[in-house]
Amino acid sequence: MLSQASAETYYQSYAVVLAVLAAGVLLVGVAFLAARLIAPHRPLPAKLTTYECGIDPVGQGWSQSQVRYYIYGFLFVIFDVEAVFLFPWARIFERLGYQAVVEMGIFIGILAVGLLYAWRKGVLKWV
Amino acid sequence: MNPTIDYHAILPELILSGTLVVVLVVDVFLRPPRKWLAMPLSFAGVLAAFVATLTLIGADRTTFGGSYHVDPFAVLFKVFFLSVAMIVLFLSLRYFREGRYYQGEYYFLLLSSVLGCVMMPSSRDLLMLFISLELVSAPAFLIAAFRKNDPRSNEAGLKFFLIGVLSSAVMLYGMSLIYGVTGSTNLYEIGKALAGHLGGQETLALAAILFVVTGFAFKVSAFPFQFWAPDTYEGAPVPVTAFLASASKAAGFTGLLQLMFVAFIHQAAFWGPVFAAFSIFTMSIGNLVALQQRQAVRLLAYSSIAQAGYMLLPFALAGHGVDKEAFAAAVTYILIYAIMNLGAFAVVVAVSRKSSALLIADFAGLMRNAPLLALAMTIFMVSLAGVPPTAGFWGKFFVFRAGIDAGGIGIALAVVMVVNSVISLFYYLAIPRQMILVEGPEEPMRSPALVTFVAALAAAAVIAVFVYPDLIAHFPPLSTLVGS
Repeated sequence: MLSQASAETYYQSYAVVLAVLAAGVLLVGVAFLAARLIAPHRPLPAKLTTYECGIDPVGQGWSQSQVRYYIYGFLFVIFDVEAVFLFPWARIFERLGYQAVVEMGIFIGILAVGLLYAWRKGVLKWV
Repeated sequence: MNPTIDYHAILPELILSGTLVVVLVVDVFLRPPRKWLAMPLSFAGVLAAFVATLTLIGADRTTFGGSYHVDPFAVLFKVFFLSVAMIVLFLSLRYFREGRYYQGEYYFLLLSSVLGCVMMPSSRDLLMLFISLELVSAPAFLIAAFRKNDPRSNEAGLKFFLIGVLSSAVMLYGMSLIYGVTGSTNLYEIGKALAGHLGGQETLALAAILFVVTGFAFKVSAFPFQFWAPDTYEGAPVPVTAFLASASKAAGFTGLLQLMFVAFIHQAAFWGPVFAAFSIFTMSIGNLVALQQRQAVRLLAYSSIAQAGYMLLPFALAGHGVDKEAFAAAVTYILIYAIMNLGAFAVVVAVSRKSSALLIADFAGLMRNAPLLALAMTIFMVSLAGVPPTAGFWGKFFVFRAGIDAGGIGIALAVVMVVNSVISLFYYLAIPRQMILVEGPEEPMRSPALVTFVAALAAAAVIAVFVYPDLIAHFPPLSTLVGS
């Protein structure tokens, strides 16, 4: 279906892709080869630990983590998003009139219900 | 620019939103023994929204800049969804009260999902459709996993969540492509743009339609995207399963109806065969696998997959000159299916109090222990199989007639449907056989009054619709969405 000329440009654009692919493989291969040839080879047990610097990890990876930060993070995100909506609203609500005030009141009211719920469920208490 | 909002048109949604906030607030101030009061409160809200919807009958209103329509089609489905919500509330009361689940949160989430359902048939905009669909699904993920201590319920919620998110992503990608091709998110505008010249983007438009259809196919559990449904239905609390299999599925279908018959109708020649394949495989796979089931909820889950196949059939007839008839057949089938399915789940809720495993064998002797429930269950099973004298017969009949009228592929589809109905008779009648012919332990079963009421009401409705099909079929609003 393609004409002779357009078929040629069509395959030429694939040639660019191939060239980039080859260059990428070459780059990585040369880098690894150079490292093999040049780098000094001194194995130490310390190099096999999870972190070469910093504190040694304690316990298993599946240990329980502190969940209260998570809940605080959650609440923070809620009010962070609220702020995102409040700033542009504060810029223009004068122009939009009372309707905008009521709408933002409903929005904040729903978030306040969320806070009320969190408070009654004892989320805000540091246990 | 200050868009005016038609508050009367969105009154049912406003009432529901208000109710669900009130339910959540009241719940946190109730002491545990009184938590169940969240249910009457939710019921009052749904009833108020129901009355508000009734005031909109015959209305034709548009708001939010044309993205939200309240027309007879929307009102019909709003009434339907709110009725389903009331029935699910009835089924939930004793189940969640006795299970000591988080009752306030449950009713809050259920109402949120219902709100999504109620918004769905009015959404005539891709964004609005997407918001509605997510509002249906997101709370449903949580209430499917509500039996926290049961790993199967956790599995149900997780599977539902992963599949739901995946399908949303696929659908959203399709929607973004459609916006790219047509430059609009309004369904009517998209319909107009797709009917015109697309300037070399025809293939892209078809791919986009396919993405959106795939997303919805997950939601309505059509083959080959049906594998999540049995596990989710089995693990979720039974009232939640009743909600998922009726309201949530119907919501998916209303969204699909609007998209296909309003926005994408011009491309029907392309997606019609796709739906034909969906339909044939969905009903056949659902029915054949249902034959193997030993557990009542799994049986109903595969049955609901098969039923989705029958509901997909009218889509395959679009563009064959019977659009109005096909559309009306799909709507009728969805409504009738929901009634009989809810009734069947009501009986399952009652039986689940005696045996939580819910094997089909557990239905043995029900005719002696609870004659009313057994009779109702027999009616539902016969109706699901599509045998007179039940409503299910008319549902199948209208789809069948639309297929015959369409001719060509429609006749083939109608024949496949009849063959499938005969196969389905085999497993649907397994439960009545167990209830009536097999001797069970003789112990009178006490079922909650509300659950018995729902079962009796649904059974009466199934018979009434058979005697007087005009109750549901031939509603004038059924085909208002379809032009010409």
